[in-house]
Amino acid sequence: MRSGHDIGRSPTVAEFRDRLHEWLDAHAAELAPRHPLPGTLDEQVAQMQRVKAITYEAGWMRHGWPERVGGYGGSPVLRTELGAALAARDLVDPGLFSLVEVLAPTLIDFARPELAAQVVPRLLSGAEMWCQGFSEPGTGSDLASLRCRAVPADGDAASTTAWVVNGQKVWTSLAQYSDRCVLLARTGDAGSRHRGITAFFVDMDSPGITVAPIEMINGVREFCEVFFDDVVVPADRVLGEVDGGWAVAMSILPYERSSCFWQRIAFLYRRLEQLVGLVAGTEDERIAGVVGDAYVQLHALRARSRVTQHRLASGETLGAETSIDKVLVAAAEQAVYDAVRRLAPATVALDDSPEGERWRGEYLYSRAATIYGGTAEIQRNIIARRLLGLGADD
Amino acid sequence: MDATERSMLEAAAHDAFAAAGDRPLDDALATLGWPEMLVAEPRDSIDVVFTALGRANGAATALDDVVAAGLGLRPRPALAVLLPGFSHWRPPGRLEGGRVRAEGLATARVTTAGELLVVCGPGDGSGAAHMVAVPVAAAAAEPRRGIDPGAGLHAVRVDHPAEPSGTVPWDAAVALARRALGHQIAGAARAMLDLARAHALDRVQFGRPIARFQAVRHRLAEALVWVEALEASLVAAADAPGPETAALAKAVAGRAAAAVAAHCQQVLAGIGFTTDHPFHRHLRRALVLDGLFGSADAIALDLGRRLVARRRVPTLVEL
Repeated sequence: MRSGHDIGRSPTVAEFRDRLHEWLDAHAAELAPRHPLPGTLDEQVAQMQRVKAITYEAGWMRHGWPERVGGYGGSPVLRTELGAALAARDLVDPGLFSLVEVLAPTLIDFARPELAAQVVPRLLSGAEMWCQGFSEPGTGSDLASLRCRAVPADGDAASTTAWVVNGQKVWTSLAQYSDRCVLLARTGDAGSRHRGITAFFVDMDSPGITVAPIEMINGVREFCEVFFDDVVVPADRVLGEVDGGWAVAMSILPYERSSCFWQRIAFLYRRLEQLVGLVAGTEDERIAGVVGDAYVQLHALRARSRVTQHRLASGETLGAETSIDKVLVAAAEQAVYDAVRRLAPATVALDDSPEGERWRGEYLYSRAATIYGGTAEIQRNIIARRLLGLGADD
Repeated sequence: MDATERSMLEAAAHDAFAAAGDRPLDDALATLGWPEMLVAEPRDSIDVVFTALGRANGAATALDDVVAAGLGLRPRPALAVLLPGFSHWRPPGRLEGGRVRAEGLATARVTTAGELLVVCGPGDGSGAAHMVAVPVAAAAAEPRRGIDPGAGLHAVRVDHPAEPSGTVPWDAAVALARRALGHQIAGAARAMLDLARAHALDRVQFGRPIARFQAVRHRLAEALVWVEALEASLVAAADAPGPETAALAKAVAGRAAAAVAAHCQQVLAGIGFTTDHPFHRHLRRALVLDGLFGSADAIALDLGRRLVARRRVPTLVEL
């Protein structure tokens, strides 16, 4: 059995996928969750870190990441394949696992090389958890209006040795487990919008940080409020340029809209298959039609996402057109879970078994698909202005 | 076909179809090198030609050639093909007692060709379909104006002495026809969106172009989402060819056509409700194309039955 170390440094995607699945088959028992699904958030996070550690140790988690941060190089599509394979086997929650895709590239592209080389391997190998501090109570879809403030601790922005952060973040996933935070804070004047924002890499054990988890509609405390009271951040933890944080935030989009989506898609196929297993054989003449409709929607999304990944892999810059992917992923996710609710209504409404809890939790979570990561309305605004050339709106 | 050749073909198709005006486009297609290019470069020629047909709302009989090519035959103008009835995709004929009996649809080629090709059942995936060719004179063909007289469809009945000649890959022909129709629908959907977009930018109400109203913008955005999803599904069907990817592309096409037509018609409002404006032609054509070789509803139901029977939901396309 070949591990991820000895398939060479530039395997083809198909070769990587085949070898990976062989290896995952052989190591299924070791990788399997130690708890019945869905498990508590504590259990899910522990499982994810354990899977990361095992797959990093075996080399798989290193493909697709640059060598200067401990990776084996190669196309980012390789790490997409790994995330999709883990999600499709119920080994990790794709929403939690794909956080790597929105955090590690930021460090690789914008941190000092020594810092990136030091910390990125710790994220990939499951030694650390990180979170992303972007949204604020008054800043949902309108990210450029954020108010959390960073000021130089001594001297001016160019000479200061540290920054002092004050303010609040919200919807920060897994902050209570995190060792670090990629934080956006205002460094320009109050009206500077996207021109006056800076990104920082903050240690979560810094004095002055308070984390308060929020219970969501599905009963999970995945998201948190994070409060910053005179938190001191060394100047060498600025990511990118001072007042250049908008570019940092935008640089995440291509990964969030390609790799993360492909992992989510793999998971949705898995769950549709499990729904089929749940309802097949019951006397419900709607089953085939409802399942077929969801399958068509899911395929349209997968086909679109595949085109997007191929564009990214061939070196194209992804931009506004990924708003189409975002609309499709939300529509498909809700189509799958609408199918769950229509075909297994008693499971969603009343089943208190772990399986019932899982379907119910996911059904409720799926309602957020048109909200997080930029609402469906924001995506349609972008499509109208940038892709259809309809000019500014009123 | 490289990118340059492809864009030259696109431009040539556009010019030839524009020059033909309201006349049938078969002659224009012949000047482009159809159906020879279908044999030489099936993927690109189907994509470019059927997309252009959809955009131009043109009447042509090229679908006969695609089905013939899918069956492994050399397509030629003198050969018409009997298509399955509306919303169906089983072979339209059956052989019994030395006769072929069939019922289905045909393009306008049934009025000009010498021979009509009839594929006979079962077409259940077993691949055991048989083919017979009958003189077109032996077929009773009746024009069907229906919702789209410009489509040139005919209802056809055949009852003629015949013996089977070898088996043919009906499922492959269905898959190729579905891809062609998917491209034609994509072209029609782009045309509808172009018309609605132009109208939204042009039409002034309450002192501003209606394109500035978010309700209007979101409808057009949603239409573009469907068009792009359809085009991606057609890429998937070409990259991973097979009955399932073609079926899914055709189903996405039907869904896309319905969504795009609804959004664009609402944006076009009054003018889109008249025959002065070209929108109605695309709406009509989309409704007819959805029914050829299986509607989105019928295909989704069929796919769903297979998934449930096998307890498997395959991903079909990979990176």
